[in-house]
Amino acid sequence: MNAKRFAFNFVVVMVVFGFMLTACGPKPVPAGPSTVGEPSSVQPDQPGRKVATLIYTQEFDNLAPLYTDMWFAWTTWQMFLHWAWEFDEKNEPFPRLVTEIPSSENGGVSADGRVITMKLRDDIKWSDGTPVTADDFVFTWEMAVSPKNTVTSTYPYNMVETVTAPDPQTVVVTFAEPFAPWLATLWHGILPAHILRPVYEAEGTIDNAEWIKNPKVGCGPYLLDTWESGSYARFVRNENYWGNRPILDEIFIRFVPDDASQVAALQAGEADLGTFIAYSDIPTLEQAGLQIMTEPSGYNEWMFFLVNDQVGHPALTDVNVRKAIAMSIDREAINRDLLLGLTKPPASFWDALPFYNDPPLQNYPYDPEEAKRLLDAAGWVDSDGDGIRDKDGIPLELDYGTTIREIRQDVQAVIQQQLAQVGIKVNLYSVEADVYFASYGENGPAATGQYDIQEWSDGPLFPDADLYYWLCSEIPSDENPAGSNWFYLCDEELDALIQLQATQVDVKERQQTISKINQLFYDKVYILGLWQDPDIYAVNPRLKNVRFSGVTMFFSIGEWDLEQ
Amino acid sequence: MGRYIIKRLLQGIPLLFFISIILFVLMMNMGDPVATMGGRRVTRASDYERLRRQLGLDKPIYTQYLYWLIGNDWTKTDVDGDGIAETPGTRRGVLRGDFGVSLVTRKPVLQVIGERLPNTLILMLASEFVIIVGSLLVGVYSALRQYSVLDHIVTAFSFIGYSMPIFFIALLSMYVFGVLFKRWGLPYLPTVGMFDPQAGKTAAQVLWHMVLPVLSISIISFAAYSRYIRSTMLEVLGQDYIRTARAKGLPRREVVYVHALKNASLPIVTVVGLDLPLLLGGAVVTERIFAWPGMGRLFLDHVSRSDLPVVMGILMMIATAVVVFQILTDIVYAWLDPRIRYEK
Repeated sequence: MNAKRFAFNFVVVMVVFGFMLTACGPKPVPAGPSTVGEPSSVQPDQPGRKVATLIYTQEFDNLAPLYTDMWFAWTTWQMFLHWAWEFDEKNEPFPRLVTEIPSSENGGVSADGRVITMKLRDDIKWSDGTPVTADDFVFTWEMAVSPKNTVTSTYPYNMVETVTAPDPQTVVVTFAEPFAPWLATLWHGILPAHILRPVYEAEGTIDNAEWIKNPKVGCGPYLLDTWESGSYARFVRNENYWGNRPILDEIFIRFVPDDASQVAALQAGEADLGTFIAYSDIPTLEQAGLQIMTEPSGYNEWMFFLVNDQVGHPALTDVNVRKAIAMSIDREAINRDLLLGLTKPPASFWDALPFYNDPPLQNYPYDPEEAKRLLDAAGWVDSDGDGIRDKDGIPLELDYGTTIREIRQDVQAVIQQQLAQVGIKVNLYSVEADVYFASYGENGPAATGQYDIQEWSDGPLFPDADLYYWLCSEIPSDENPAGSNWFYLCDEELDALIQLQATQVDVKERQQTISKINQLFYDKVYILGLWQDPDIYAVNPRLKNVRFSGVTMFFSIGEWDLEQ
Repeated sequence: MGRYIIKRLLQGIPLLFFISIILFVLMMNMGDPVATMGGRRVTRASDYERLRRQLGLDKPIYTQYLYWLIGNDWTKTDVDGDGIAETPGTRRGVLRGDFGVSLVTRKPVLQVIGERLPNTLILMLASEFVIIVGSLLVGVYSALRQYSVLDHIVTAFSFIGYSMPIFFIALLSMYVFGVLFKRWGLPYLPTVGMFDPQAGKTAAQVLWHMVLPVLSISIISFAAYSRYIRSTMLEVLGQDYIRTARAKGLPRREVVYVHALKNASLPIVTVVGLDLPLLLGGAVVTERIFAWPGMGRLFLDHVSRSDLPVVMGILMMIATAVVVFQILTDIVYAWLDPRIRYEK
């Protein structure tokens, strides 16, 4: 049998086989109750039900506030658990459980910035009919700071001195010191005190409470109906919702960890919304008729320089070397060729918060000749003719580490080539994220200063401008094994400015302080932006009224509709 | 035989003990479960130290192993960080059936595994069934019709399947039968998950969604099994006792299926015996691609978060299954071949 005939037969057999398989499929699906797994309260076969299917590429680990910090939990909270205030598609705050956003104008923020007074709506209630009151807020704070609870983070509640409830609709938060980032960090979901307080009083902790593992009572437009580990989570309309009646009957979240499978499911029309879309998949999805929507989330991809000659490479303590590196990398080309021109290299750490990037910074140009001149002037020359610059017998050879994300490794390879052209040798490293981000105490490679150049996606405490990594007190050591200043940089001017901005509640004053940090980062090239890293969604055109926020991602989910 | 089984089971206990020590030490060096807690930022220093203390990760490795093995309900721990051990431990340890609580989901490990194991068993047993039945049919046929056209075709298909990586077969079949068939207006197969949300989780839906994953797994393993059966059958068919059986005038069917196949099955039992316990671990790649919520994905997800209790639970379950299935294999050996005896 010749090869052509064999190939033809192979295709014929496969197609026939495919027909045989597909022809005996369950179409239409017989109506009837669920026969496998946990029985659901939902009757999925009712005709005309509006069921939107969302794909999550990661499964949330937990859905209870305080007990998770996963992005996919944040998106899901808007379905069943409102925040006190949420953020719209422009990342502007709007009141949800409160009547108005506290401010100094309406008396919600005290003159010294320590006391925040919130007025709650009087019509908000949990799905079981119990009113949402100030007591729920007080209880949430108590649980966040209780040493008996294994919460993911006590921040920012550990900065709070007291939370009191003078009446059921008033919450008074008093900070120990003026605390600027309160609007971005407070009340990311509240706990139902009427359900959890008895558990806490009986067990001394809410860690094992049923609501923490399965929060089926909520105050949002939808309610958790079923969550099957690794498979799906089903949310149904909250018939007791205090706001406008949600339009969809049901939201079905399917956990699909593989990018290629997500693309196939979206192409096949088996999902209405895809998340964490890879840049390389965008053309395919657009071709399949899906709408690509991006939303700034404050995150950008950065190169972080280790600026400490005791720990890192001595060359990086010279600002001209760092500047030369910035001018040796063609970041525009990287964005154009590897990220399909969908992003730009950010010049400012506050790229997604233009208010703080004012006046806007301009990126260092790609100018390898000027980079060579800067390196020559700094004394880094190729004295032995091996193609690598050196100084005092030390070669300009840098270790550059990041995680195994595919696009990062591609960019690393390009940067390695471009830096080689100006005489800088770069050794590339890429490791799993849980190893890469391990602490100094756990011998994490970045935390222990094994990489002269580090790379990951980060940003300020979006939508707030706060930052803290670069504090001198955050430098890791045996005494401080969890320190987050993996750049081992202690710049006293920068340190003072970072501490100052965190306490400035006057918006204008804080903007000026952040602008100084912005300029300092730029002038001293402590960081180098590679590309903007917004949230990217693929939306099936039949899903209507979809708007995203970079903070409370699905803030408008009650308005989403499905064209039948 | 009874004494032999008890002896083998007792031998398995120290083996599992040493396996658990090795796995525990390896896992402790695989990453930091508190590094990001699944978030996009590194855990704050104050939270980091508190979480390590509350989760018992600040203890020396031998203490953590001891707590994992025998529990900590006989001692007190310092939960509030004041330096005084004030809270009685609640863990009972693996030896008393408590595998601990997942660091990721905060659920008991046995519950986490119990939620996934049925899904894996459904998928893997169906695949194993298809593989064994299919390869027996093809292997025996190829042996009986050696060098026939069909033998050549089956051999070619076997090697094509065997030489392709499973992710390629899985994605290709998903794209062809799920995406392209739908685009061409043909009846099509579902791409991901266990059921269609509009239809609900019915048995028919689950079966329907199993078609592509089972197909992908089967194609890979089918080749090896069928070639194995073919060669052992060919070897047995050339033995003297088969010739004798034929000479006695036994029907061909009886010669092949009673005398030849039973003896040819011995090596196959070994392979199946080794494969069956590994089925519990699921098919990592296939489950990931088809979003099948089985043990393979569970393992992958929790390894990436350095969730030691869950990963140890899965690995120890597989190790125990390997020991048990080896004993079962020996028993089946004795049943298939009367010459094999484990006792004097």
